[in-house]
Amino acid sequence: MSKRVFVHPEPKAGEVTGPGYWRSLEERNKSPEFRTRAEREFLDGASELSAVDRRSFLALMGASFGLAGLGLSGCREPRNHTLPYAKTPEMTIPGVATYFATSFPGEYANQPILVETQQRRPTKVEGNPSHPANGTASSKLAQASILGLYDPDRATTSVGADGTPISSAAARDALAAFAREAGDGAGLAFLARPSTSEARWQLVQRIRARFPRAIWAEHTPVDQAAGDRALHEAVRVLPDYAAAKRILSLDADFLGSGDAQVEATRAYASARRADTPEQAKAMVRLYAVESLFTLTGAAADHRLPLGTSQIAAFAAAVAAEVSRLTGGAAVAAPKVDVDPKWVAECAADLVAHRGQSLIVAGAHLPAAVHQLVAFANRQLGADGKTVRYVVDDKRGDVSTLAQLVAAKPAKLVILGGNPAFDAPADSGFLALAQKAAIVRLGLYGPDADETSRLTRDRKGLFVAESHYLESWSDGRALDGTYVPVQPMIAPLYDTLSDLEVLAVLAGAPDTDALHWVKESFERQARLTTDSAGFEAWLAEGVLRGSRRNPFEWAARGKETPRVTVPELSRRNLEVRLVPSAGATDGSTANNAWLLESPDPMSKVCWENVILVSPALAKSLEIEPEPMVINKLGALNRNINQVVDGKLRARVARVTVGGRTVEGPVFIMPGLAKWTLGLQLGFGRRVVGRAGARVAERLNESRIVGVGFDAYPLASVAAPAFSAGASLELTGETVVIANTQDHWSMEGRDIVREGSVEDFSNNPAFAARLGLDGHVPAVYGADEKLSPAAKAITTPRGNSAYEHPDHVVPPNVAVWRDAGDKSPLPQQWGMSIDLNTCTGCNACVTACQAENNIPVVGRDQVLKGRDMRWIRLDRYFFDGREQAGMEIPENPQVTFLGVACQHCETAPCESVCPANATVHDEQGLNTMAYNRCIGTRYCANNCPYKVRRFNFLDYNEREVGRYYRGPLGEKGMPETLKMQKNPDVSVRMRGVMEKCTYCVQRIQEAKVQAKARAGASPDTAVRDGAIQVACQQACPAGAIEFGDIADASTRVAKAKASPRTYGALTYLNTRPRTTYQAKLRNPNLRMPGAARTPLSRVEMAGREGSHGSGHAAPAGEHGAHPSGH
Amino acid sequence: MRRLLDFLNRPAARGNIFPRWANAAPARILICLVIAGALVTAAVNEYATNKYLNVGYTPDQPVAFDHSFHAGVLGIDCRYCHTNVEKSPHSNVPATSTCWNCHSIVKKDAPTTAAIRESMASGAPIQWVKVHKVPDYVYFPHSVHVSRGISCVECHGRVDQMEVVGQQKPLNMSFCLDCHRNPELAIRPVDKVTDLGWQAASPAAQVAQGTKFVHDWKVAPPQSCSGCHR
Repeated sequence: MSKRVFVHPEPKAGEVTGPGYWRSLEERNKSPEFRTRAEREFLDGASELSAVDRRSFLALMGASFGLAGLGLSGCREPRNHTLPYAKTPEMTIPGVATYFATSFPGEYANQPILVETQQRRPTKVEGNPSHPANGTASSKLAQASILGLYDPDRATTSVGADGTPISSAAARDALAAFAREAGDGAGLAFLARPSTSEARWQLVQRIRARFPRAIWAEHTPVDQAAGDRALHEAVRVLPDYAAAKRILSLDADFLGSGDAQVEATRAYASARRADTPEQAKAMVRLYAVESLFTLTGAAADHRLPLGTSQIAAFAAAVAAEVSRLTGGAAVAAPKVDVDPKWVAECAADLVAHRGQSLIVAGAHLPAAVHQLVAFANRQLGADGKTVRYVVDDKRGDVSTLAQLVAAKPAKLVILGGNPAFDAPADSGFLALAQKAAIVRLGLYGPDADETSRLTRDRKGLFVAESHYLESWSDGRALDGTYVPVQPMIAPLYDTLSDLEVLAVLAGAPDTDALHWVKESFERQARLTTDSAGFEAWLAEGVLRGSRRNPFEWAARGKETPRVTVPELSRRNLEVRLVPSAGATDGSTANNAWLLESPDPMSKVCWENVILVSPALAKSLEIEPEPMVINKLGALNRNINQVVDGKLRARVARVTVGGRTVEGPVFIMPGLAKWTLGLQLGFGRRVVGRAGARVAERLNESRIVGVGFDAYPLASVAAPAFSAGASLELTGETVVIANTQDHWSMEGRDIVREGSVEDFSNNPAFAARLGLDGHVPAVYGADEKLSPAAKAITTPRGNSAYEHPDHVVPPNVAVWRDAGDKSPLPQQWGMSIDLNTCTGCNACVTACQAENNIPVVGRDQVLKGRDMRWIRLDRYFFDGREQAGMEIPENPQVTFLGVACQHCETAPCESVCPANATVHDEQGLNTMAYNRCIGTRYCANNCPYKVRRFNFLDYNEREVGRYYRGPLGEKGMPETLKMQKNPDVSVRMRGVMEKCTYCVQRIQEAKVQAKARAGASPDTAVRDGAIQVACQQACPAGAIEFGDIADASTRVAKAKASPRTYGALTYLNTRPRTTYQAKLRNPNLRMPGAARTPLSRVEMAGREGSHGSGHAAPAGEHGAHPSGH
Repeated sequence: MRRLLDFLNRPAARGNIFPRWANAAPARILICLVIAGALVTAAVNEYATNKYLNVGYTPDQPVAFDHSFHAGVLGIDCRYCHTNVEKSPHSNVPATSTCWNCHSIVKKDAPTTAAIRESMASGAPIQWVKVHKVPDYVYFPHSVHVSRGISCVECHGRVDQMEVVGQQKPLNMSFCLDCHRNPELAIRPVDKVTDLGWQAASPAAQVAQGTKFVHDWKVAPPQSCSGCHR
């Protein structure tokens, strides 16, 4: 009897009506392997039983059961193997991480980093402390780049002109053949992303020499150098935020985005330190004028929402006022709809701090603004003090995209980037590329990238690109320090780097990228006094003494440009295009860590939205219904329509100059009235698995990227903003994934802030605010101690361990006989300074990388199941919450990072039936995963809501396959497993998890200290030896961690700050993590200036209802808010 | 028929359908269940343990490496091959190149060393079978133990006397905790760590010396979850 073979017919074009689900990449790509498998119905060998009749089957089964019972063979552990090296590589110790210096390449500046490798497998990015401006800090993007290396959707092979995969050797041959045919370069054009690489620049010169008629063009959708170019072709503006006392930011999000983010944040935070009232009085004051609500605006002491197109007029007004006050030339300033007092007082404050004040402008602003700002800075005496001008001469004769298109090349070499997706619609690039012969170097292949897809469609040559962690290159940090890019691992796939491709195309004698890096290192080293050599440069990661030279202005004219601004209104809106927090400009649209990391301000993740101001929403007649009652009992307008805990946004259509984009509307307080904020990078047409989703609102049956594409609104003339937009609602609503939409702190005073004045009047204002003043924690005799002292001396309840100054040590006899106390275990604790925290999310991503935290996907985020251990809360305050009915136009913002607080009397511990979460002798609230049975009582009882539960197999199944049942496909792509930190358990389904204070790093430091001690008692871990992942990454240096029992440690000193307070301490939880209250530095002359932060105004009303006088310490009355 | 009715209506059966012995049945069943339960509990307690299931696990290795000859007779120190035991959490199984140091000269053509030559030629690792294994969620650092006077022998037994290495200690959590609670029973001079045959003069001497070490070196082994589970 043989089974009839049934061949599944291929579905016809019209038959596919359902969504394009696919279970594996093979299925999606319709590879031959998948097709044979699908036709077979069962896998090879799976249908073998059909040859055995029922009788012999039963006999076999019976026998095997009997045998199984006899030998208990089923109970034996599986056989495990240990595979040592055949020849051990140099400097490799299995189990010990090795760090290598390299840099994270940016278009404007490289970020010097160290990469942790485990047996040559890169697992984590850290900042390179050898570079002083950068320290140990790193950005969210650098942290997430490690996932980019292991992205399973990366191109694994090059694709030849005939559409078949080819090896890198064949790709080299094809490139060489292409170069031979190109002759002198007539009709040949190169298009690349800007780069700081010196080696690439050398090769570009060689390309020019070989192809004198070819065009070398660079294009980026978000040009960070545009502002510099507005002043001079070869200048670079370097603001020094650390030296400034007064900063005015004109639509410049220096704290939130761009390659300079880490260094700018570090510098700004250093000027924002306020350990004492004296220091607080001298701290920097930040004015921000911006159209969207950025992190810079959130950090500002005074913020003015103003349309981006209006900022030119504002800049002129400020320049005019500064010039008037400093006796400079008159500046013509057009009328702008701004309180003149704002301009006057701000300018007066800047002038009052001549030599210590600074104005910065966003790179996207028109050239006139940058000229006005340079003029005003000169008037303010900023040149050479708070701002430096340095030489950046690599921009000479680089063509723009428009120049490239105008030349109509027939042959196009596209290195990196994704111009088919991000080139402005009116640039004509797509039309050109449709006719050209294309050679394309890209990280993502034809199935995950628009430009690579176009290349395949055009029968061009696609060359798979190496990740920066796999290739040799070099570059410059922001201040010009020459830094290497060195491979951490041999290319995972058969790929080439951009240097290798350029070297082949240039016909260079040596096509090895390392050769070119060495060559440009020699050039750079000759310019410095550093004589340590190439190896030392690689080891250190920076070339000492390498700087950009000061720029010599030939002649700086005294006249300033005349500016005109359009009038904005409901009929004439303005569109502002910004890189998104998740997908940036589209290049990280397949990075799940970034996609799930919410926008710091809107808290929307996995997609982008159209941000509109409350005023615009009102004029659109977006009726906030139904009303909801908040926890204080007041009626709140359900503005963004939260239904069943899900945010339903209205879909709207934005039109600019005939080009239209459709997306969900998100009402954002603090936005300039007539500005629409659209984030770029989402809505990819061809993208990998992580960034893809099944079409919901687009009537297409193919897989598209999450979010909507905002690039159609960009044009060559106006890549970042343009006026003349209109917006209309389509009547539809869609659910969007938003991780937080808190409008108040729900009556609890977990965020505390004061003004510099409050701080001087009563340094300890924060510790006794709100409920802590009314219902203090029960400390008994320890009442007077500092919060840090309380954390170690007060008794703990519900802990499974002895008190640290216990007299009953583990091995009693040893210590009692010696008449001695057992050694005091070091007590770990954390302090977070809210005053320097800018909410950049670097800590969240660093934690995700360090602690093997899974990505859960959009659907699970909508269900509130995101797993990230740190929740970076964003709180708005407008001081008028009691009024309740109005949408705040310009609220204040504070960020609060909340992870497990490691309470001494942890409420989670007392309810765990399995003793899976208990205290240890170092004061950690530990979590034993293998004990956890998933009752979730702990999460229920945690007042901070920091426990995360693995509802589904997030580590064992890919996003979208969670509900396939017990027999559904399991397993993650092999490359994703390579990223996992081997020192941290990968948690399974049904297990609770939370911040562990990076217990693996603590243990590692303790093990090292003890191993070093050997036969001696010197076992203490030195201060600074443990850096937890969030602390290490934090660009602001806001997080301190260490032994709080030792008063000399950094964390103990931070905790001794009078600004220290604990969150929800009136619950008697006694958290080990404490916060230092945020300080605002208002200029009381400014219009609308509040003597006290608006949040305190909210609290004031509440305190009043409690009555006063009981338990409130006298000091608080001095800090009473004076209203608004 | 009549006889059947008579039988059913006999005086003893009227109103009492269960025989007399049934009165004691519930108690007997209960006793049996208790005994059976106790037996099962005792059996699980005895047999479903590392001590019963894992101790004695002595798998065949791809290379018949004789520890009793190399470490015992020849007296090669453990750290000649397990080079990183003092630096790393893992005590590495030696690379083939370590074997090659001697076996490129000694017994270079013997059939017993064929696998080494093969691995050296091809670069493919030798597939050693793991003998001592703790669960994935246990992070045991070798470095700190050997640096602080805990000998290899405490967990691995007299490897220098084993022809084929097998598991001798249960390596379960209570095994770890026994020592972490009373380190003075196991701690020894640091220079005797790889001397597997070393013993204190007497158990009392061990306690006296161990107590001194624990005190002088401030030995405080962790006894809470975070010590081993991350």
